[in-house]
Amino acid sequence: MTNYDGQISSYKTVSILGQCFDSKAIVYLANHLPSASLVAIKKFDMDKVRGEVKLVEREIILTRQLNHPNIISYHTAFVASSEVCVVSPLMAYGSCRDLLCRHFNEGLIEPSIIMIIQDVLQALVYIHKKGYIHRAIRASHILISATGQACVTGLRYACPIIINGKWQRSIHSFPATTEKNLNWLSPEILEQNLLGYNEKSDIYSVGMVICELANGSEPFAGMSKTLMLTEKVRGITPQLLDRTTVSKDENLDCGGDCELSPSILNRRFSDDLHELAGLCFTREPYDRPTAAQLLTHPIFKTIRKSLPLPELLKPALPLSDRVGYDTEEMEVFDSISRLSNLNLYSCEWDF
Amino acid sequence: MPLFGKSQKGPADVVKALKEAVNSLEKGDKKAEKAQEDVSKNLVLIKNMLYGTSDAEPQADIIVAQLAQELYNSNLLLLLIQNLNRIDFEGKKDVAQVFNNILRRQIGTRSPTVEYICTKSEILFTLMTGYEHQEIALNCGTMLRECARYEALAKIMLYSDDFYNFFRYVEVSTFDIASDAFSTFKELLTRHKLLCADFLEMNYDKVFTHYQRLLNSENYVTRRQSLKLLGELLLDRHNFTVMTRYISNPDNLKLMMNMLKERSRNIQFEAFHVFKVFVANPNKPKPILDILLRNQEKLVEFLVRFHTDRAEDEQFNDEKAYLIRQIRELKPIPGH
Repeated sequence: MTNYDGQISSYKTVSILGQCFDSKAIVYLANHLPSASLVAIKKFDMDKVRGEVKLVEREIILTRQLNHPNIISYHTAFVASSEVCVVSPLMAYGSCRDLLCRHFNEGLIEPSIIMIIQDVLQALVYIHKKGYIHRAIRASHILISATGQACVTGLRYACPIIINGKWQRSIHSFPATTEKNLNWLSPEILEQNLLGYNEKSDIYSVGMVICELANGSEPFAGMSKTLMLTEKVRGITPQLLDRTTVSKDENLDCGGDCELSPSILNRRFSDDLHELAGLCFTREPYDRPTAAQLLTHPIFKTIRKSLPLPELLKPALPLSDRVGYDTEEMEVFDSISRLSNLNLYSCEWDF
Repeated sequence: MPLFGKSQKGPADVVKALKEAVNSLEKGDKKAEKAQEDVSKNLVLIKNMLYGTSDAEPQADIIVAQLAQELYNSNLLLLLIQNLNRIDFEGKKDVAQVFNNILRRQIGTRSPTVEYICTKSEILFTLMTGYEHQEIALNCGTMLRECARYEALAKIMLYSDDFYNFFRYVEVSTFDIASDAFSTFKELLTRHKLLCADFLEMNYDKVFTHYQRLLNSENYVTRRQSLKLLGELLLDRHNFTVMTRYISNPDNLKLMMNMLKERSRNIQFEAFHVFKVFVANPNKPKPILDILLRNQEKLVEFLVRFHTDRAEDEQFNDEKAYLIRQIRELKPIPGH
């Protein structure tokens, strides 16, 4: 097994893969020189991170204590100058959000969705059994490996179910710094009432992800947070856009604002998929199925003979196959970071 | 697992089975694989008795009491911790969960497990050395922090020679382990105010000699966290004696003035919160006053330009204005 060491000099960054954590962290594609293998390095700029140091720590410590094929694993985490660097296996297709933005603006095809959701549910069975609630299940927190395996990430928002040595029936703490995840969160988390919430709230978010993957757009995109909350509390949820849910007349009625393309109006998701999303959106957490129960849904039998996910994701290609990385971008970036390291003001103390 | 019926094992049986399995795991004989399996299985059984599962409530108090008694009598807690590196990944976490639950057990105001560990301090020392081993460090950390909640246990750890190993653990190259060790270190130094103040006073020289190394660490995160903790320790009124001693030493002032100028804005900011204590001290010793006077103008100019973008932080701006005024008004002691 390759030993991924904690020396920054062993990793040569090749290109930027993306940003996360409110731009306080940048994910790079890097070459691990001793093993000549490609890895992803997430670098947290700790000087930009003020109050959220605990979040960074928590994410890394929790991820290191989980071990499941559908949860991102870390090779190592170390400090280099003022950055915390986390080395993980390269997820060659990036996140599901990346896939939607770059190649599938109107959503993925059904078999792809089912495969991804199956992996996510398996990760959730494990996470819940280990006593955690993820609280940030969304397409951007689902990464796809070169072989088409979906891996859940974003564990900095997770919370333990075991508090004060007891397995809690419900949790009342509201996740900090979670503005960006609000649209995916369950009504019971958002309501912040005495009933609290439990691990079933992740299942509601899975429903959001099914719609996100199918429609291509983020749930409740462009809607005010207050309206989003009211809708959820009233039990109104996004739908899978196809010819059973949007009629052509309706589409014309609303003028140019929400005009949907013919391919959306003509496509048809299976009744099973509509039902699966509906089950996730069950308003009452008690009645909502668990991750393990959802995995027994007949829809997961339909993909047994399907082509593997990488075939279905074409024309998207895994990163390792792409040639000519954005080295220019890297150079600009390097020079910017060199500039920002210049000391503009200095004075000498007289001791 | 059925609640009733012959197949259910009682606490005594489970503890016995687990002990046998750990023993054979320790010996590493041929049956190691089977032993590993038995360890995992019995750990899950014990964990479920204590926590319940998603569809079963925890066992009744009487069963839990029996279980705890069996664990004490069989010396199994120590055995599990000593063999933690041999137990599989999920099993290690189960050990920590079982340990933490049993530790919290209460009978009225008594905490029997805490009393038990006081007589078996080897448990604590074994846990502390756990930070030496990557694969068990985080598991030991969760157990140690749980122990540190109890003053009696925190005292044993603080006053041991092993405590000074933390100055090494918080700086190890693996970020997650260093951070975890730092949380435990901080818990030990801050949780029980009177205990901590006494400890720091009695061991001032040794602790702060070690602490100096952290403040000068190559590791940015260590430097920043230790500086922040230093500020918290000095500003805690329980540590008044320690603070007075710290701010009388001109070397400490020099270090903070240099840290005010560090490249990292977070470190500058944390250094500010220690530096202000030196300036606010109404009885500045001469060496301290001399340094401040020698740099009077530079300091004023520096502070005026210091973190001007924190307009929204009222307390910081008040403090900054106060420091500037204090430094401006500094005068040499007459007769010198």
